[in-house]
Amino acid sequence: MNKEFKQELESIFRDITVNITDDVTPVIAAAKPQILAILRFLKDKGYGHLAMISCVDWLKEAQFELVYLVSAYLKGDNEEPGQEKITILLKTRIDRDNAELPTAIPVFENAEPYEREIHELFGIHFTGHPRLLPLFLEREYKIPPFRKDFDSREYVKEVFDKIPFVEDKE
Amino acid sequence: MRELELYFGPQHMGMVGNFSITLKVEGDRILQAISNPGYLHRGFEKLMEYRTWIQNFPIVCRMNVVEPDSMEMIYAMGVEKLAGLEVPERAHYLRSVYLELARVGSHLFGLWAYSNMLGFDTVAQWAMYHRDLVLDLFEELTGGRVYHIYIWPGGVRRDFPKGFKDKIVSALHSIGGCVPDYNNTFFENRLFYDRAKGIGKISQKEAMELGAAGQVLRATGMKYDIRKIQPYAAYDKVDWEVPIREEGDAYSRILVIRDEMIESVHMIFKLLDVMPEGPVYHRIPNPFKWTIPRGDAYVRIESSRGELGLYLVSDGGDKPYRAHFRTPSYPHGLIILERLLKGASVADVGNIMISLYVVAPEIDR
Amino acid sequence: MKKGNIFSPFKAIRHLFRKPKTLKYPFEPKEPARRYRGFHLNDWDACTGCGNCADICPNGAIIMVEIPEIKPEPGKKNQRPKLDYGRCCFCGLCVDICPPGALSLTGDYFHIHFDTKTFSFIPGDEKSDPEHFVDPQNYSLLKASLSHRKKNFPGFSPDIEYALFEPERVPMPQVEPEERSLSFIEQVLGYSEKEARAEAARCLECKLCEEACPAHLKISDYIKAIYLGEPEESLRKIYEDNPIPAICGRICMKHCEAACSLSVRGEALSIRWLKRFVADTVRDYQKALQQKPAPSTGKKLAIIGAGPGGLSMAYFSALKGHHVTVFDSLPGGGGMLRVGPPLYRLPIEAIDKDVNYIKSLGVEFRFNATVGKNISFGDILKQYDAVYLGIGMTMSRSTKVRNSEKCILALNFLERNKIREKVNVGKKVVVIGGGNVAMDVARESIRLQHIQHPGEEVVTSAVSLEDWDIMPANKEEIEEAKEEGIRFNPAWGPKDVLLDDKGNIRGLLCMKVKRVFDDAGRFSPTFYEDQEMILEADTIIEAIGQASDFSFIPKEMFDQLKFTPRRKIQVDEYGMTSLPGVFAGGDIVNTNLDAVTAIADAKIATEGVDHYLSAIPIS
Repeated sequence: MNKEFKQELESIFRDITVNITDDVTPVIAAAKPQILAILRFLKDKGYGHLAMISCVDWLKEAQFELVYLVSAYLKGDNEEPGQEKITILLKTRIDRDNAELPTAIPVFENAEPYEREIHELFGIHFTGHPRLLPLFLEREYKIPPFRKDFDSREYVKEVFDKIPFVEDKE
Repeated sequence: MRELELYFGPQHMGMVGNFSITLKVEGDRILQAISNPGYLHRGFEKLMEYRTWIQNFPIVCRMNVVEPDSMEMIYAMGVEKLAGLEVPERAHYLRSVYLELARVGSHLFGLWAYSNMLGFDTVAQWAMYHRDLVLDLFEELTGGRVYHIYIWPGGVRRDFPKGFKDKIVSALHSIGGCVPDYNNTFFENRLFYDRAKGIGKISQKEAMELGAAGQVLRATGMKYDIRKIQPYAAYDKVDWEVPIREEGDAYSRILVIRDEMIESVHMIFKLLDVMPEGPVYHRIPNPFKWTIPRGDAYVRIESSRGELGLYLVSDGGDKPYRAHFRTPSYPHGLIILERLLKGASVADVGNIMISLYVVAPEIDR
Repeated sequence: MKKGNIFSPFKAIRHLFRKPKTLKYPFEPKEPARRYRGFHLNDWDACTGCGNCADICPNGAIIMVEIPEIKPEPGKKNQRPKLDYGRCCFCGLCVDICPPGALSLTGDYFHIHFDTKTFSFIPGDEKSDPEHFVDPQNYSLLKASLSHRKKNFPGFSPDIEYALFEPERVPMPQVEPEERSLSFIEQVLGYSEKEARAEAARCLECKLCEEACPAHLKISDYIKAIYLGEPEESLRKIYEDNPIPAICGRICMKHCEAACSLSVRGEALSIRWLKRFVADTVRDYQKALQQKPAPSTGKKLAIIGAGPGGLSMAYFSALKGHHVTVFDSLPGGGGMLRVGPPLYRLPIEAIDKDVNYIKSLGVEFRFNATVGKNISFGDILKQYDAVYLGIGMTMSRSTKVRNSEKCILALNFLERNKIREKVNVGKKVVVIGGGNVAMDVARESIRLQHIQHPGEEVVTSAVSLEDWDIMPANKEEIEEAKEEGIRFNPAWGPKDVLLDDKGNIRGLLCMKVKRVFDDAGRFSPTFYEDQEMILEADTIIEAIGQASDFSFIPKEMFDQLKFTPRRKIQVDEYGMTSLPGVFAGGDIVNTNLDAVTAIADAKIATEGVDHYLSAIPIS
């Protein structure tokens, strides 16, 4: 990713930081309301592949960090040579208390299962998502299980230690 | 006609792996398909947060039974990138050979699943036998048949044992020698052609829109392969081709898989020829004291089913703060499958699913 | 792409006539690969019970179980790993972390048993568990069970190249032998911060060292603090058990390093040098330690001897709030360590750093005060509530051979060189003895020779009764002495000191030693009378051992003092001698004869003194 692109981004979007630490994974940090616009911009610039959406629970800071990983497919006539090597990390932080975000489905259709998963495992609500139904889990959890304050070991003790061992049964 | 809801899997003759699809059908036309994963959700990514950097290395491979090796590779790459570890030159070659063997083994497994599901039992038996030859190689090299636990941060776990090169060559000759038979009985068999041609067709534009990668995308004519785009290990050290097809249907996808397998065999021969001597492991820091500076990294490789990515976060501690895998079956099995099944016939559900090369444990993690 | 032929599959029909590829199982079992990761095999003789396997196991499949039949010894715990195969994932991390390389995986992968509990067991090997291992010809899959394992069935084995620990030390920067034999500069330069952290990072935290250390220092804690870049925290941890780190960081006999699990297949962690690093790095002990003695108890304790034992006793007792006075005949603290270890090993500044800190806690030091001469033992007993004897061994023994009075005694030689004017040595020096003191003497001698006879040919030889294999000096001391040019004559005993006409020494007549110890293991050397050798010499130094000087104790009291059969003062579990209120520790009590054991004795006696003092009224 080159400097011009960074400048272009920074001129269009206010209050974002573009951090190019290595050549292949530039990091863009932006506020929640801009995310969809930036995703759209990146897609138009040729970064048409949403590799995944990830979520990190920064418990101490009381924030969730959403990370959109966007890369480019191959095109016959690449506008920017070497673009396909790049994966952009678009990050935004939202409050843990008010964990809500607009869905990215209008820009990237394949955001659907990723957002579903994050909704299920972290409890983040994506407004406008057509089916925020459980994806993997079978049980109900008081705290969404991938949050940092969900202690798996504690949970295992609570739930499974109640089940008697086979030989202890009659 | 009456609309019915049909549960397809996880216990179904046409289903490979623990996965299910809920179908709304009218006659034998599918009106709507809903992917239903989760049977293999073990929460590995959460478990990793409780284990130290090195303790995670025997765990990551278990996310994917069919091809655990690319999981090891991506975890090692992620840790190496975060911690700034160096890998010796020879280890890069060993990793490539090992990953290509895994690709051959995985494709043979895919071939077994596909042929078995369509009733080509002879081909399925052959594929299983040939996969066993690959597993024997893994056992010889690593001591494990299914979970090899071989690539670890800093290099690989052991060097080739004595005479191992010859064993690879002889096993691959045995597999390669059978390709004409595979062609006759399966790929160029009219029965298979009629069964797979035109089924589950997807255009390049739609595939891109839905986040496809791997064979699904390559079968639509795009030479999208991370090994070429962003070479890792020793993939830039030898010449090789990315096989593609244009049609985008089940038949072209399985042919891409076949061609890739053949290309991998050739690549292994080339790698073995130019492989340098030297150490294969740079010692990692003491596992009981190993902390990695705060930071995050995204790494991606081409697994046998497409783009495999890992987003790894460290908070400066001795354990990963967050690990999130982008597995290739995820978009293929959750979105593309739902799309392609719409309007298809019930008899083609397994056909389409396996042609997308969906491996369930990889989706659930 | 052609559409294919409906008849082409029939070409495969020829496979019908080929030999099947499948094995006729179970009559034709599949041999596992040489690296197969099957069940565990543990060599109990090599296993140290360190528990690293249990720590690294990602699944918690390994627990350490105490085996009562095994006697724990320094460097070996009486624990062995127990495997739960319901949890084991056969990754082999335990094999790669195992410091002694005792644990390996075998080709065995069958376990058939009606009792599910047998799936969790303590693996052994043929030696420790002979009844369960059968010869390959008697082995069959159908009978395979816990009580049925194949002998010589190796699988995934340890390989030091791929071990998860670092077997090699960070090399300690030292002055080269050619340079250091010319002067008394300190030989070991000490680690830099980077080197110290790299060395500290090797520690596996198994704590075998802590059990081996007589004073039970919290070694893995203070090493970890060094690794984390917190030398002050490290110093605090050291001071919990050892108040003389600058001294011990240089001359400790390092029982810990001998027990280090890394030393089995690699080099032990440099625990001593790391302690030295901390002691040297932290400049201001008072600021770092922030220790306050407990409120005064009003009780008075006299300590005779400011050696490592006396200093430790002073430190621990001062913290308890007792008023402590230390008597020593030397002009400064350190006792034998002030005069014994040569300057190139233990500079005076290092000793004073430790002593000054103890002084800052309110301990009163009376140097140049010889008990029995400047102040009588009886007066001390009257003026103080309790007395601690840490007098050590201050008299050199002589060989008592003819003309031996012409020789120099080791301690006199060392003391003069260290704190007074240097001894004049000849060009040909012979040192009698094979212990660490003899090494110190010989190495000082060659330095003095180089200084006093520059450019001339000089020789220092050592003569010892013991042969190479039983020489009591440390291996590294012997190595370093060799590097500096000391000539060794092992297994030779002195017979006569030969004099010339003027009565000056001209040589040492030696006899070949037959054996040093008798069948019962007692010291009783015998010689080949007919094999003699003359070592030319103008100076001979005797370094064959030391004894204690009890002459300050009045006779009637000395007669009440009880001794053990090995001529050590007998003390109870609180360190008290048979004289009430008189405690003792160090070389006069233990047989280890080193500083860290003296500290251990002092720790015991501190409790004893505290207990004793609390029972008597304030005088």
